[in-house]
Amino acid sequence: MAKKIDGYIKLQIPAGKANPSPPVGPALGQKGVNIMEFCKQFNARTQDKEGLIIPVVITVYSDKSFTFITKTPPAAILLKKAAKIEKGSAEPNKTKVGKVSKNQIKEIAQLKMPDLNAHDIEHAMSMVAGTARSMGLSVED
Amino acid sequence: MKKLYKEFLITSEPLNAEILSAVLWELNIDGISEEINCIKVFTHDNNITEESIKNLLDELRKNNLIHNYEIQENILYEKNWNEEWEKSREVLHVTDRIVIKPTFKEYSPEEKELIITLDPKMSFGTGDHPTTKICINFLENYIKQDSKVLDVGSGTAILSIVAAKLGASKVIAFDIDEWSLLNGAENIRLNKVENIVDIRMCELKDIVESEFDLIVANIQRNVLTELADELNNKLKSDGIIILSGLLESDRQVINEKYSSLGMKEIDFLQIDEWIGAVFRK
Repeated sequence: MAKKIDGYIKLQIPAGKANPSPPVGPALGQKGVNIMEFCKQFNARTQDKEGLIIPVVITVYSDKSFTFITKTPPAAILLKKAAKIEKGSAEPNKTKVGKVSKNQIKEIAQLKMPDLNAHDIEHAMSMVAGTARSMGLSVED
Repeated sequence: MKKLYKEFLITSEPLNAEILSAVLWELNIDGISEEINCIKVFTHDNNITEESIKNLLDELRKNNLIHNYEIQENILYEKNWNEEWEKSREVLHVTDRIVIKPTFKEYSPEEKELIITLDPKMSFGTGDHPTTKICINFLENYIKQDSKVLDVGSGTAILSIVAAKLGASKVIAFDIDEWSLLNGAENIRLNKVENIVDIRMCELKDIVESEFDLIVANIQRNVLTELADELNNKLKSDGIIILSGLLESDRQVINEKYSSLGMKEIDFLQIDEWIGAVFRK
């Protein structure tokens, strides 16, 4: 018989670097899950993606056991990689810090489609382009 | 002094965690928790204020990605967040000989058994994990009477305590994590091996001792590859190194690295997807 699910925990944490401080500790601790066990598994499984932020959905069962799945990194991180910049602009309307092509926006939108709640690829692209502009990146054809 | 963390609870209309987190990771934050009605942003960086978050969210509003938002700041004091799980711990028979028990459980050992009393709090090495079991199995087979041992990334100090109980005459345990120093020292005292195990908070480069008979390192592939040369220098000729914290998929990389230093794999164990290997110098 399938195990009874007690709840889900959705977190975003750096790949390979989970530790018991917040958000991991308080979120898993209050559900009675072994925090260190999660950290060990998450770090081993994401060590190849170091430098990226990994969204993770943890399913907690009533016997306090857990499973987890990892998702695609947030769009901003992928945009920064695409534009080869470290940080977004402090004044995105005035100061542009880089550019991304429509093709790059499309690639990121396609990758992120399952996690974006967008109706279609055009909608996903407009969300990613909006994020790009809010970071001070210009979107070019 | 207890560490402080800031928690910023953010609600917005619409609440799109992807869009919000996209800009929030520009700040020096530790992580985000996505809740049903809000997102929570956590940081240990005291320089991050409500104002710094407001500046980022105002940009999203200007770009029409959100219409309005609210921020609430809370302070969290560090504590043992693993306490709830710890209550459910039972006596654990890791091997025929090694038994791990929490302080609050009574257990009468059989003649051949060695009891390790352990309260892990928030350190690695609870005894439950396959890699800890693998390392303890290897320690049983490879520790010799009066061995000099180095425990790299000691966590709860579980492996150091096992090594001491199996006959090591000197164990140096170290970890970069403050919790591990406090918790490790506590567990060492609980098991009355403080005259054998010397625990420190430092990095491998700070360990001046060398010529170890045995080194045990249960960490992860990247760290074990990075530290390989230094570990090799710390090991005496013909010494043994036990490596774990590894997944099946890490085996080749680890083998290549340690073989390139002239070491030879002499033992291997796998439990589920986790592996451990023993190399001789």
